[in-house]
Amino acid sequence: MRAPARIAVGYDGSPGSEAALRWAAALARALGAGVKVVHAVGLLEHAGLAALSVHEERARAIVAGAGMESSRLEWCVLEGDPGSVLCRVAEGPDPAELLVVGTRRSSVPAGLLGSTSLGLVACAPVPVVVVPPAGQVG
Amino acid sequence: MLILAGPVGEREHDGGSHPERPARIRAALDGVSDLHLGSDLVTVAARAAARDDLLRVHDGEYLDELESFSRRGGGALDADTYVTDTSWDAAVRAAGAGLVAIEALESSREGVAFVAVRPPGHHAQPDRGMGFCLLNNVAVAAAALVAKGARVLIVDWDVHHGNGTQEIFWDEPNVLYVSTHQWPLYPGTGRPEEVGGLDAIGATLNVPVPPGATGDVLLQAMDEVAAPAVEAFGPEWVLVSCGFDAHRADPLAELVLTSGDFAALARRAGAYAPSPGRLVLFLEGGYDLQALRLSTAATLGALVADLSPPEPPTFGGPGSEAVRSAALFRRRAMEELSDRLLAVDSLDAPVTERPRWRLGGSR
Repeated sequence: MRAPARIAVGYDGSPGSEAALRWAAALARALGAGVKVVHAVGLLEHAGLAALSVHEERARAIVAGAGMESSRLEWCVLEGDPGSVLCRVAEGPDPAELLVVGTRRSSVPAGLLGSTSLGLVACAPVPVVVVPPAGQVG
Repeated sequence: MLILAGPVGEREHDGGSHPERPARIRAALDGVSDLHLGSDLVTVAARAAARDDLLRVHDGEYLDELESFSRRGGGALDADTYVTDTSWDAAVRAAGAGLVAIEALESSREGVAFVAVRPPGHHAQPDRGMGFCLLNNVAVAAAALVAKGARVLIVDWDVHHGNGTQEIFWDEPNVLYVSTHQWPLYPGTGRPEEVGGLDAIGATLNVPVPPGATGDVLLQAMDEVAAPAVEAFGPEWVLVSCGFDAHRADPLAELVLTSGDFAALARRAGAYAPSPGRLVLFLEGGYDLQALRLSTAATLGALVADLSPPEPPTFGGPGSEAVRSAALFRRRAMEELSDRLLAVDSLDAPVTERPRWRLGGSR
């Protein structure tokens, strides 16, 4: 088995997704891998009815803070639900070889949301890493 | 005769400035009124779906938590989807309205039913609400029919792919799910290669079309891709996920249909029904109120009053090649899956593989 050369991270601007990006960038730096930062566009955001919650500059700053070269970051915006979008980037040409997602802190019961991370584990053709919130990552 | 089931959601499940709003039901009802059907319009009140009806398509844990969350006042399920203190009651009545519509048609043995309800349903998965949807209304109705031994065609012309409906019936050979939808667009599923599970190869049929596609492209999808599959399937009931957000005025997507195109699509769906009294249309999306009113009138007018729509149908947009490609990719995917099934059968091994694109927790 060889180390992954292409890592994809789900990013929605939330603290959980920032922790995931930070972790992925640190891993990518250690492995010499590239990081594809993937933002999934929902119904309201597509229509311009929701405030844009993500900024490429912020993602690049997080990656730079983790000591990874910004040139190895690929910014990727795709239409869809986060789960289906991340599965897509792990398929097809030039697929990601590792998927990284964060966890959400929410007042919504976990059983109502399904789970992007559990859904990914069930469907993804590549390994999935679920990163706990900031402060719990060693 | 038009059977109107509902309405549900005229006041409840109100997310304020959210585009999926109570005024949508009033707009749809205005569209029905525009037909001036008189005694040919029969309204049947919705009733709450029983838990057993819901459990055919949703997980019990999800139902319990959704009800509890709503009773506590609700909140945001995700970036798109909200729950209020009235959402649970509205959702179970919306899910039950389709069952009432079917009963009314079984009794009358004629006519067409329109289920005027919200929240919409086709994105709702077994264990998760999403995309403005909480309970999958069309799936609850289809599952009830399948439980009685029927073969059910679901035609979904909402501009978004009905990922929840596809997920629910992925391995159900007695449901043929046919979807036309804009691509790329939320929820990101609905590729032509998605043709159903190993127990139901070919029972899912997806035709994605590009932004700017006109009505003739969707009719091409129906005639060249869907019609042969429908004929081979032989439906006993036809249910339509009747979203009007492919209308050119809709703010959530970029197809450019008119109400005249929905009239033509409705005639296609009506032709798939084996006999009178076997066609039920469920309101899904559609967020421009005037377009929703015009499209409701044109769709139902084409089916029950033979009325000419106020807007002419559209032609000449992109997507014809995408339709032909979809047919090709679908055929290849079905052949590949059939070969794998034969290989598995030859090993006498259980079929357990889960498609990579199929999301959500196991039921």
